[in-house]
Amino acid sequence: MKDDAKLGIFLCACGEKIGGRLNLAELKEQLGRYPDVSHCSIHSYLCQGPGLAALTREAQDRGLNRVLLGACSDRIMKKKFAAALKPLDITAPQIDLINLKDHIAAVHEDGAPALTRKAAALLMGGVGSLGMLEPYAPRLADFQGPVLILGGGISGFAAARELAHNGMESLIFSSARNPGDVLKELHRTYPGSRTYFKDLEAMLAEVFASSLVKMAPDRPVEFVVGQVGNYRVGLQNSHGASEMTGSAIILALDREYAAGESWTMGGGGRVIDQLDLDERLAGKRMNPGSVVFWVNHQGQDRLAQELSAAAAWRSSQVLVQEFPGVRPTVLYPADVKLPVTGADLVAAKQRGIGLYPYNPDIHPVVKSGYLHYVNPYDHLEYEIGWDTLVVSAIPGQPGAKTQELMSVLPIFSRNDGSFKKGPIALKPDRKPVKSLILTGSALKLCDLGEALQQGKNAAREVLHLRDKARKGDLASPLVLVTVDQDLCDGCGLCNEICICGGVENVLPGRGATPRNESPYTCDGGGSCAAACPYEAMKLLNNSAHQLEARIRAILSRMQDNEILAFVCRWGGQSAAELAAIQGLSYSSRVYLVTVNCLGSIDPTILSMAFLNGASGILLAGCPPTAPCHCGYGVDHTWHRVDLMKKLLAMCGLERKRIALGYVDVNQPEAFVRMTDAFLDHLNDMGPLVRSEDQKKKLLAAHATMHRPRVRSVLGVSLRRPSEKEFPGDQYNAVDFDESMQDVLREEYLAARIIGALSGGPLNPPEIAQALGERSAKVSPVLNELLRDNRLIRQRWEDGYPLYALAKSG
Amino acid sequence: MINFTINDLEVSGEDGWTILEVAREHAIDIPTLCHHGAVEPSGACRLCMVEVSDGRRSREVASCVYPIREGIKVATDTDRIKNLRRWVLQKLVDEHPGSERLLALAKTYGVTPSRFKSSDYENFCILCGLCVRACDEVAGVGSLSFGNRGVNKEVTTSYHEPSPECIGCGICLYVCPTEAMARFYAQVRVGGIFASGAGESAALRSRP
Repeated sequence: MKDDAKLGIFLCACGEKIGGRLNLAELKEQLGRYPDVSHCSIHSYLCQGPGLAALTREAQDRGLNRVLLGACSDRIMKKKFAAALKPLDITAPQIDLINLKDHIAAVHEDGAPALTRKAAALLMGGVGSLGMLEPYAPRLADFQGPVLILGGGISGFAAARELAHNGMESLIFSSARNPGDVLKELHRTYPGSRTYFKDLEAMLAEVFASSLVKMAPDRPVEFVVGQVGNYRVGLQNSHGASEMTGSAIILALDREYAAGESWTMGGGGRVIDQLDLDERLAGKRMNPGSVVFWVNHQGQDRLAQELSAAAAWRSSQVLVQEFPGVRPTVLYPADVKLPVTGADLVAAKQRGIGLYPYNPDIHPVVKSGYLHYVNPYDHLEYEIGWDTLVVSAIPGQPGAKTQELMSVLPIFSRNDGSFKKGPIALKPDRKPVKSLILTGSALKLCDLGEALQQGKNAAREVLHLRDKARKGDLASPLVLVTVDQDLCDGCGLCNEICICGGVENVLPGRGATPRNESPYTCDGGGSCAAACPYEAMKLLNNSAHQLEARIRAILSRMQDNEILAFVCRWGGQSAAELAAIQGLSYSSRVYLVTVNCLGSIDPTILSMAFLNGASGILLAGCPPTAPCHCGYGVDHTWHRVDLMKKLLAMCGLERKRIALGYVDVNQPEAFVRMTDAFLDHLNDMGPLVRSEDQKKKLLAAHATMHRPRVRSVLGVSLRRPSEKEFPGDQYNAVDFDESMQDVLREEYLAARIIGALSGGPLNPPEIAQALGERSAKVSPVLNELLRDNRLIRQRWEDGYPLYALAKSG
Repeated sequence: MINFTINDLEVSGEDGWTILEVAREHAIDIPTLCHHGAVEPSGACRLCMVEVSDGRRSREVASCVYPIREGIKVATDTDRIKNLRRWVLQKLVDEHPGSERLLALAKTYGVTPSRFKSSDYENFCILCGLCVRACDEVAGVGSLSFGNRGVNKEVTTSYHEPSPECIGCGICLYVCPTEAMARFYAQVRVGGIFASGAGESAALRSRP
């Protein structure tokens, strides 16, 4: 318990729902006896006006700064209690709800004494957790400097204009120096967009003339580091590197189009693709006669075909306007929807633009001067005469600029070639904080209009952040990961597995660099903290210490045949609470411990629980089919549970004592079956027998979990956001696992040796005897420990060296 | 402090409290369906009707939204109120004869489906709006809303399509007083926050 903590417990009877099942008076008396508890009271309905008034009154009168509520679900009710206690400066992390209703009263069939005992255990867990809380106040972001618009896409200009209209500076990284430069290259990314050029030119002219828009040279980007409100971009320069700073980043990335299939058809300049056509239109070089646009993306997806058809339609409008001798016709697949209205069709007919669908199942055939196709309605073969045949351009891979930015920013490509970016932050109560915004057709193939709109929207998001910062509302979230720079070794594992962008990019290639956290994008999932080999990371307001204190308090009140069940807020907890709502019941031997994400459970918590009295641990998280809300938390937990199973086996215990289960929000029956099945397993195995020898082994297993070497090897197997496959599928899975077991065996033995030496110096045969191992197995590990300075060779006695613990180790 | 009586019991409360809140504090039972402590009351289900008399006249009000006033006399178990309550329940169970939870509640007040019951055994939603309010107020998401009007009114998502805003928190499931949301939920959620990223979902599904 922290010295300044003053904790009060408030028990809600919820009418008869809790009060009728539990002996609340007895509970109050039990809990009130602990010195850590300054206040304990019973209320009939805490969430209603009179209850809330009593709660705030008591909290104020007694100067409480930790409030533990024995009531119902924190998912539903915490917000209300936090709002009520806010005037007293008691924030959400200082409030803990133990769900007496849905976790105990409504789901168990036992009598009041058993339920009261369980309630006391869970509530004391809450006392332990709140006692270890070190409140941290969210930080405010400094939002200064221009918006950096990288990537050179057209959407960046739209963003810059929107920003300039709202008085915000921007810096565009582009080689273009005037609107003409931009328009000259635009057909490579948005072919067939000439009809927009007039408007676009005016827009671009405005951007280039604006005093709020600066242009930066388009040099290779070396690094992008920083966080919301304060980013630094390093550019390669002819004379060394230069650095630009800004408040937010907009990445305007466009997909470039590649040449169409015109070259396979021959025709010597009479068969061209859309890109060639755009160049001819720009140069005003069009031969008179019939121009047939054949939308021929046979292998492409629907979206690409639609865009190609739209490009053909717009280009034909330009053709009839600018080249009187040209008669355009668009031949498009019948399953593609043309972006034209009825009025457009009438106008097209008047101007002499032909619009014909063809049956996409029967491939049209090109002959000299004619294109043969099948009409989808009358099923007849038709032929259409052409003097110039225009085929579709093909959306290609992201340009070189995109590839370059991918290497410095958390952008990942999807299977279909489009992109996503790392940061995600969406929770109840929290709108996403995005300051790294991706726009343009690289994200998803789109037309020019949509790209410009995306740019505009991106600008609005940045402006929203700026307004938030001005009001002093742009604060870091309540739960936030933090890195202890003294402990951090700069291995970068956290940055690799971080999916929310909460672990900041640091300069690459500079050796071990301590990581920084980006407080505004962290989603508090916490898998990075649980993965850190050096235990340098901590979740503020939800630390592993708090969880450990909670588990210890609960375990000390549990019986041998009971199980600890970690449930994630999104899967297990929701399902368990729904079971209560739907009137299901399960055994009271299951003690639920809620965590935000299973991924936030440090593996040492698991070994600590076994060491301190758990006979079985169940973890219920979201099913892999309904993706984890915190990235890959469940995946990561899978590997941690697997490690715990290996250690259990080394301790001579059943691997089945820990199990991971998946349950979705609306599957309460699945949750009940899961607990029943796991209790059956535990019944078969019986309680964990805690002999002195067994305790020593479990202590060694716990020490093994703390070893940076073990945690590093474990870190290798954790899935990275860029990995498309579950890492269990690696082709050398068995080899990897065996290497890992070797490391584990060695470290486990080392931990046992250190345990044996804690009683005083021993020589090798004595150590081997104490551990029940062969000397040949022990001595290499002894040498290893000696080399790492974890042991010292004290002196020689009877022809044997005498080993003792090094003072530091 | 506001003093008044509920069933002749002298009670008091503060400005802004409702009759229901004070009654519950004194363990006076008033049934509710659309009321939940986590969200603002809306008075939709009319099950919490009580009789309020201010000395001159008496009338029936929804206790979950009726603020307490000095000197009023509240009665929760007069014949008039019991009758009203039975009628509300009668209409609910007749319209939703398939809902076990509604039937169980009605049975405790001696109400069973009449011969005029609906033939639609798949209609569970009583339009109490708890899910809509909870999604908005608690989750802060707002992916659920009421669609259409009158007899066609329904709880739905934008464009009647799975909601990309839905974060899959399941709070709507928790607050729903009938089986309605458990059945509708699959049509609300796309797949959590990764809904828009097909790549991620596919990656997770490739898991052994």
